[in-house]
Amino acid sequence: MELIVARNIVKRYRMGEVTVYALKGVDFTLYDGELVVVLGHSGSGKSTLVNIVGGMDRASEGELYFREQPLHRANETELTNYRRSQVGFIFQFYNLMPNLTAYENIELSVQIAEDPLQIDPLMEQVGLSDRQEHFPSQLSGGEQQRVAIARALAKNPHLLLCDEPTGSLDLPTGQQILKLLRDFCERYNKAVVIITHNTNISYMADRVICLKDGLVEGIKENPEPLTPEKVSW
Amino acid sequence: MLWKKMVRDIWGNKGSYVACLVLVIFGLMIFTSFSIASDNLSLSQKDFYRQQNFAHGFTELISMPYGNLGRLNQIKGIDKIDGRVTKEVRVTQPEGDTAIYLQLVSLDLADPERVNDAKLLNGIELREGEFEIWVDNQFFETHRLELGQNVEVVAGNKARELKVEGVAISPEFTYPLRTEKEIYPNPEQFGIAYICRETMWNMFPEMRGQVNDLVFTKEPGIDFDELKDRLEPEIEQYGLINLFSRENQTSHLILDEEVAQLQRMSSALPLMFLSIAALILYIMLKRLVEQQRGQIGILKAFGYNNREVMLHYLSYALAVGAVGGLLGGLLGIYVAKPLTALLFMFFHVPEVYEGFSLYYLALGLIISLAIFLLAGYQGCRYALQLKPAEAMRPPAPISGKKLFLEKIRFLSEMLTIQGKMAIRNLGRNRSRTVFLFLGMMLSCSVVVVTWSLNDLVDKLVFYQFEEVETYHARVNLTEPAFRSTVQRELSRLDEVTRVEPLIEIPVRLSHAWREENVLLLGIAGDSMLYNIRDSEGQRVIPSDRGVILSERLAEKLDVSTGSLIELESPYKRNNDGPQMVEVYRIIPQYLGMNAYLEIREIDQIIDQGDFATAFMLNFGGNLNPDENELEISGEEQIQKNVKLLRDLYHESELVAGVDGTEERGREIRDLMETFGSLIYLYVLVGVVIAFAIIYSSSFIILSERNRELASMKVLGMTSREVFSVITFEQWFISIFAISAGLPLAQVMMFALSRELSTDLYSIPTELSGQALLMGAGITAVSILIAQSFAMRKVRGLDLVEVLKTRE
Ligand SMILES: Nc1ncnc2c1ncn2[C@@H]1O[C@H](COP(=O)(O)OP(=O)(O)OP(=O)(O)O)[C@@H](O)[C@H]1O
Ligand SMILES: [Mg+2]
Repeated sequence: MELIVARNIVKRYRMGEVTVYALKGVDFTLYDGELVVVLGHSGSGKSTLVNIVGGMDRASEGELYFREQPLHRANETELTNYRRSQVGFIFQFYNLMPNLTAYENIELSVQIAEDPLQIDPLMEQVGLSDRQEHFPSQLSGGEQQRVAIARALAKNPHLLLCDEPTGSLDLPTGQQILKLLRDFCERYNKAVVIITHNTNISYMADRVICLKDGLVEGIKENPEPLTPEKVSW
Repeated sequence: MLWKKMVRDIWGNKGSYVACLVLVIFGLMIFTSFSIASDNLSLSQKDFYRQQNFAHGFTELISMPYGNLGRLNQIKGIDKIDGRVTKEVRVTQPEGDTAIYLQLVSLDLADPERVNDAKLLNGIELREGEFEIWVDNQFFETHRLELGQNVEVVAGNKARELKVEGVAISPEFTYPLRTEKEIYPNPEQFGIAYICRETMWNMFPEMRGQVNDLVFTKEPGIDFDELKDRLEPEIEQYGLINLFSRENQTSHLILDEEVAQLQRMSSALPLMFLSIAALILYIMLKRLVEQQRGQIGILKAFGYNNREVMLHYLSYALAVGAVGGLLGGLLGIYVAKPLTALLFMFFHVPEVYEGFSLYYLALGLIISLAIFLLAGYQGCRYALQLKPAEAMRPPAPISGKKLFLEKIRFLSEMLTIQGKMAIRNLGRNRSRTVFLFLGMMLSCSVVVVTWSLNDLVDKLVFYQFEEVETYHARVNLTEPAFRSTVQRELSRLDEVTRVEPLIEIPVRLSHAWREENVLLLGIAGDSMLYNIRDSEGQRVIPSDRGVILSERLAEKLDVSTGSLIELESPYKRNNDGPQMVEVYRIIPQYLGMNAYLEIREIDQIIDQGDFATAFMLNFGGNLNPDENELEISGEEQIQKNVKLLRDLYHESELVAGVDGTEERGREIRDLMETFGSLIYLYVLVGVVIAFAIIYSSSFIILSERNRELASMKVLGMTSREVFSVITFEQWFISIFAISAGLPLAQVMMFALSRELSTDLYSIPTELSGQALLMGAGITAVSILIAQSFAMRKVRGLDLVEVLKTRE
């Protein structure tokens, strides 16, 4: 089923006299249960696009629908609600609460979710059952990212947006993370979007959206995506 | 280049800098304006004292031949001694419904260098033997008198027309109080009139050739107590009522206290404001330096030396100090004028106005710069220690820790996740937690103390008139009279339901080497109109077993219940030396300082038969039973009766005046309303402190944790939910701060009472319940308001921007 429909998304930044176009008119559709990679060079507009899709930012022009509801016309409260119930975010720099334990970080998002997943199985799934009481500063980067993933998943969102989730991790740790994302996508039939400038990662996607200078250069379907273990960089 | 960086940094955090600036401006404004005002007042005071030959010593007597003055003038140490006749007279006025009194003070017109000379502000000189007066300026203005107009008074059993020829002021009456039970001068009811001595003698023939009041200046370097010892034996035989130094003279005492208080305030309040501002700045700079360690590293790597880096960060502090100092100082100079004018409304002192004071402007600026330099240096010292390479590395990650509080199981289970974050944040930055705590505590106690003070002034006045002196009216006699005759006469009046005699005589009480001149009140043991009460509010019956003393008097004499003290009075028949009396009870008395004795016991001691100096009356019933006057309130009824009495004794030789308790209460109430507005200034101080602290700390927290807060917003939390982490933290601290603020207020109250209590009034140390509530409430409201301002910043948090960068 269609989850997100984007029509002619434009994002402008006005900097004094000059206007910078981060996105120059982007169209695409996302479906439930697929894993999509957004691929592009640095500065091509990937983060901008995903931030708009996730309701963190607004497009300057264009239409954006979530399950046929127009997000481009939503007000602040509606956007907050949208983020709250439908979207999970994962960042390159984890962004955990430094003074909450792993478990409490996840609890934080469970607390506001309508239909949350259970924390304990989730901790098990990300392999951190024995680190529940640790604070972020006591965890490695990979472990922190797994907590961040668990935190995003716990809300049971329909859409998981990941901005360079493996950006600061080594290969095996990165593979673990990608596997978690793939599992979530298949097990719960949810859409997962991964941003990367790494072409290799795109081989595990069902579809790849290639961005260049704020425009969609092409959309590729992978009839047989690689398993995360086979991805390397 | 670095200037631009500074301006941008300040701009990016304008909220906190503005809060700092407001505090500095406030502080320096108070500093300059209060300093200037107190200088003006003290300067005017000194000038005035010198010009008018203000006395060093004052003596009240029953009467002494004028001719003896020459001998007194020879006493070693006395520079000049003047003898005067002073009398309080009642002003007769057909329409008025309050009693008006004039204190007549004689002037020796032949003497060009009078002690306590009156300064003529407006009008012409008095003439020998004429019925002409100068009146004090406030009385003149309040009653809208005009020069040349006549005022009718009852003097020496006769109504007399006195012609107002001038408006004058004297250092003796800079703050004219009629009795020691008053707190504020009340020109509606009491004024000073200066009159030729010869005229005085004409009006009061029994005083002819006599004086009842001595004032003297002493030669430089002479000790007052020694002089007193030499003077006392010379005048003892004339019925010495009181001999006291300038330091104990009411107007001087209050004026001096006012100047001292202004000076204290001009240093204490600004210091408080500046310290808080400095603390805020310190915390902000410290954070700034920590945040910009990377930039500092780069600057240092470029080759900037420590001094330059330091200077850069210090310039933040100096900018705030300089701008705030200058603005505050200028504002202070501007405010000084109305403030001085306000003060001079209460003190009759000719104003010597200095106006623009570069001295305080400069001093204020220097003080504020010095404090900020210190705070700034402490705040950014850290930047110096950083080595360039080290500085460019990110700081050690923030490590989470559970607080000991969370060990308590049920507590931690009660907390939401936001609550947990908030609680842990307390431990994360201890100095800030302490700062918040201290600030809120201070704010709360300032409000409580000021509110209490206001409440108490109210209370102590009404206590006096509603609990203690419960009579409806009081008839004052011109001289002591046999009480049975007068009492019988008064009781015959229809409307009067109860009459009780009252004796008020000056006495000297002494215990070991301590002695005090006070009024001794004689009250009947079965009195229902004058209720002496102990600290629990229970009635204390005056007894023949001994005197009842006010707490302050007992303290000054260093006596306790059961002590024996000596009692002397100029009214005693044979003047056969002091009499020993026992201290029977000690009671709280807020207004004035008195001793009490059963009325018959006074008769015994004085040995002049049973006499009284005044009578207390209660009215009852309707005056006009034929008219249905149910609508008339009790108050109006009493007032009508008082007026009736007044008319009745209009020209009586024996009655000096009739005072209605009701109208006295009303007058004081009105007067206090004008003073009451001052309290809002202090409450504002409390609010400003709380607001500045909460506001700036919220801003610091917001910019420090914007990443955390943004992540929470991304999770889908509303701005309010996100902000609750910060507010929870603040409320949590505020609970403790407010609970600590209340005992602190009590301590401040004790200190204040100790500082401010005088013989004229003592300040109770109780805090009223309402004040406690107000303190907590106003602090909470200030916190709320500051938070709602900070909340806007959370709403405006740019998620994309914040999360893009690495920490
Ligand atoms: N706040 C802003 N003001 C002006 N221009 C901006 C702003 N944010 C982004 N841009 C511009 O928009 C373009 C796209 O930025 P975006 O962050 O989406 O790139 P990206 O593809 O995510 O790059 P990277 O892989 O480096 O993260 C860039 O050219 C950037 O300079
Ligand atoms: Mg990006």
